[in-house]
Amino acid sequence: MTDQPTCCDEFAGASRRGFLRGALGAAAGAAAVSATFGDVFTSTAYAATGTAESVMVVLSLRGAVDGMSLVVPHADPVYYSARPRIAVPSEKLLVKDGMFGLHPNLAPLVPMWKAGKLAAVQATGLHAPNRSHFSAMEEVEDADAGSSARVGWLNRMIGRDTGRSPLQAIQMGDGVPPASLYGPEAVLATRDVNSVQLRGASDPDGRRGRVASLNTTWGNAPGPLGKGARSALQVVKDFKPVQATSAKPQNGANYPTEDIGDALAGAARAIRADVGAEVITVDYGSWDMHMNLGDLASGEMRTMSSVLGQAMAAFFTDLGPLGDKVTLVTISEFGRRVKENANRGLDHGYGNVMFLAGAGVKGGKFYGQWPGLEGNTDSDLLVTTDYRSVLNEVARSRFNASTAQVFPGFQPERIGVMAGQ
Amino acid sequence: MPEAPPTAAANRGFSRRRLVQAGTVTAATAAVTATAGVSPASAAVTYTPVRYTATPVPTAATRHIANRFSYGYTPTLGAQIVRAGGPDKWFEAQLNPAAIADTSVDGFDTWWFSINADAPTLWRRDQNKIEGGWQAMANYARWSLVRRMYSNRHVLEVMTEFWENHLHVPAIGSPWMTHRSAYGKMIRSHALGRFDEMLFEAITHPAMGIYLDNAKSTAKAPNENLGRELLELHTLGVGNYTESDVKNSARIITGWAVDMFNTWDAYYNEDWHVTGRVTVGSFTDANTSPDGRDVSRRYLSYLAHHPDTARRIARKLAIRFVSDTPSQALVDHLARVYLDNDTAIKPVLRALVATAEFQGSAGQKVRTSTEDIIATYRALGVKVAKPTSAKAAANAMLYQTTDLGLAPFAWARPDGQPDHNEAWSSASRLLASFRIHYVMSGGWYPTQDARYRKPVSWLPARTIRFDQLVDHLSRTLLGQNSSAALLKACCQATGVSPREKVTATHAIARYKMPRLLSTILDTPAFMTR
Repeated sequence: MTDQPTCCDEFAGASRRGFLRGALGAAAGAAAVSATFGDVFTSTAYAATGTAESVMVVLSLRGAVDGMSLVVPHADPVYYSARPRIAVPSEKLLVKDGMFGLHPNLAPLVPMWKAGKLAAVQATGLHAPNRSHFSAMEEVEDADAGSSARVGWLNRMIGRDTGRSPLQAIQMGDGVPPASLYGPEAVLATRDVNSVQLRGASDPDGRRGRVASLNTTWGNAPGPLGKGARSALQVVKDFKPVQATSAKPQNGANYPTEDIGDALAGAARAIRADVGAEVITVDYGSWDMHMNLGDLASGEMRTMSSVLGQAMAAFFTDLGPLGDKVTLVTISEFGRRVKENANRGLDHGYGNVMFLAGAGVKGGKFYGQWPGLEGNTDSDLLVTTDYRSVLNEVARSRFNASTAQVFPGFQPERIGVMAGQ
Repeated sequence: MPEAPPTAAANRGFSRRRLVQAGTVTAATAAVTATAGVSPASAAVTYTPVRYTATPVPTAATRHIANRFSYGYTPTLGAQIVRAGGPDKWFEAQLNPAAIADTSVDGFDTWWFSINADAPTLWRRDQNKIEGGWQAMANYARWSLVRRMYSNRHVLEVMTEFWENHLHVPAIGSPWMTHRSAYGKMIRSHALGRFDEMLFEAITHPAMGIYLDNAKSTAKAPNENLGRELLELHTLGVGNYTESDVKNSARIITGWAVDMFNTWDAYYNEDWHVTGRVTVGSFTDANTSPDGRDVSRRYLSYLAHHPDTARRIARKLAIRFVSDTPSQALVDHLARVYLDNDTAIKPVLRALVATAEFQGSAGQKVRTSTEDIIATYRALGVKVAKPTSAKAAANAMLYQTTDLGLAPFAWARPDGQPDHNEAWSSASRLLASFRIHYVMSGGWYPTQDARYRKPVSWLPARTIRFDQLVDHLSRTLLGQNSSAALLKACCQATGVSPREKVTATHAIARYKMPRLLSTILDTPAFMTR
């Protein structure tokens, strides 16, 4: 019986495509976008200015990323004794402080770190361990423990004002929206910028018969499908400025040729076009490295950490001065075990890291309270900071959103990673 | 006063349908009069739908069973259901697929070499750069699409999709590509059989073992991935087991190995099997033998017969075939039937279609991306042939499903693609559906190795009034009478007025048919089931 050769990086990793979202339960409540479509459409409502003063990009690292491989606790000796084959050597780490350092493949992010624009918070996560991808994702994105309503925290956040534009929140890179965007506020989920159009909209006679006809068919159609159709017709008009922006990344930004690169480039275009999007969600996965997480020479972490670093850095380069209003935060459903398994991988764990980049971030620093590691088979990195405390600081600092509205019933702790918090 | 339409005899030359009744035109009761705000040219128009009775329309029950238990109503299917003696008799006959002739579809597996190739061959072709594993997987998904599209064994295909999603193994580029086609065939062989037998074969299958890491799970360091998903997704469900159960579950199923990157044989490795007492829920076993195949079988049988599993499967069936919010009473009823019949699937399906809740649920489920594409091909009568190039329709249709949101088996997580209406109702899905309906209504893409109906073939008579044509097409494409709103939408899309006469030289036949057809497909009636 031969050992599995350390081959097949390209083979095992052939599909990077979305480790997709968590439970997509039925939306809560009856409130639907009830735009009355007809031959005469009166737009009720919309972000009054159509401009977003702040933008949050939520980058979900799907599949439970191993935070300790990205922000390495080099000063904790258990990290090395528990991971003889896959620990990142201390001397290779970047921007080290007394406790942590960044994985070397995050090198493209070092300039932002040094400019005080990138921070990391360790040992974050859910209130109690939840090792099911499916269930944890729902919990993380719903962020409303104890309620049976299926409404995501981002939908609550954009619902704080009277704007009703479906472009307030955009899922970029996939047609299926994440649970964090579920709820009464209409949102847009799209694979890419060019997909948002109505084919056959103008006909040879010059009459826009197709649009009128779709309005007739869908004006009063019930349920989520009707809501989606009315949203689609509205969005097609409002998304044109995004399609009018150049598809070429600006300022020499160099995205990796992966779906995450395309999605962030699309996000940058949407921000440049200034159509009122306050929230853009993007996915990158799968990080579910039960096997072959590997080391600096080979394995999945090596590849994916490179892509992550390059994509995030390219995004802010592409934005240029617009980066002054954009905050990117990473999130994952849970972290991974302290001790490596028999397959150079890690099973499901608990505590994890969150990155924050861009506007309002008090960067160049590692945050969080390190609980210390134990090296048993079942040991986890514990959670000392609820992930909602991190997101809450972004919501308050950048959007003036109230904790009570976005995270009902939650008492946040102060981390101080965002300006004014 | 409307002219009487041509008689049945005159129609025969144009009608593709078997039975044609004497045609009469009757006005429907609901009319829509355009209100203020309509463009001036049509301000005075009244949209009164008519009944083109020369074209048969199915009963509501026939339409409903066709849309729930096939991949889309067509007049041909409607006639089959009538010939079988109605929905109930048709459904019962469908539960015996071996007795249903399906000769053309049976040959579809030869359209792509990889469908019937064994694991070492698939591996060799990948390594020698003849055909990448991702391509073999894509072809497997294509084969599933064309079977669903054209098979006479409708219920078998529908149930195969259901179980292949419940016991999901993705068909996207991966090491288990060597076994994925065989896995799908195994599921299909059990799709109308017994869940306990299906579960055992699925969990111990090399495709599942590679996908969820059981194929490399060793006694020294058991890998929990499959042990967990087996409990969470395939059987008991979230909240019905403990972390200790997960660990024991993983231990029980150690040993089912695959000789990966070598012969790809599935084999049992006694050295890898964890021995010692194991307990999951109320299942316990001394587990002394290094050969854990028997304890695996008994454990999986315990799970398959567990009431939590019964409820979970009953709920999934109800969500798939009834609505997103099935009653607890329905779920409990189906769970009871499942357990009473030792996990046999057919009795549960019979029980489901007999309920008032099922019968009253027409239109409550949004069609998924694959369902939309397949129904579009079926409704438009597109004939797809063996692909001779990458651009052929049988190959291109996979990308069409991706454009709408998700290709078959492309969901990357083990919980399988979502089955709630919200997930399939995003603005981008709607726009993609509108685009694809239009492009296919025009027969513009994909064109290779595909035959589309000619526009003039959609006219049921040499001369027909537009409102009659709309009703004829509504009966043909949607299986129901036209409504005032549909007639209005068709007039708006084409610029034709209701009483205008349409012939082979009319703009409708010459270049506007795609607009008319796609207007009918871009409706809730077509996009739900």
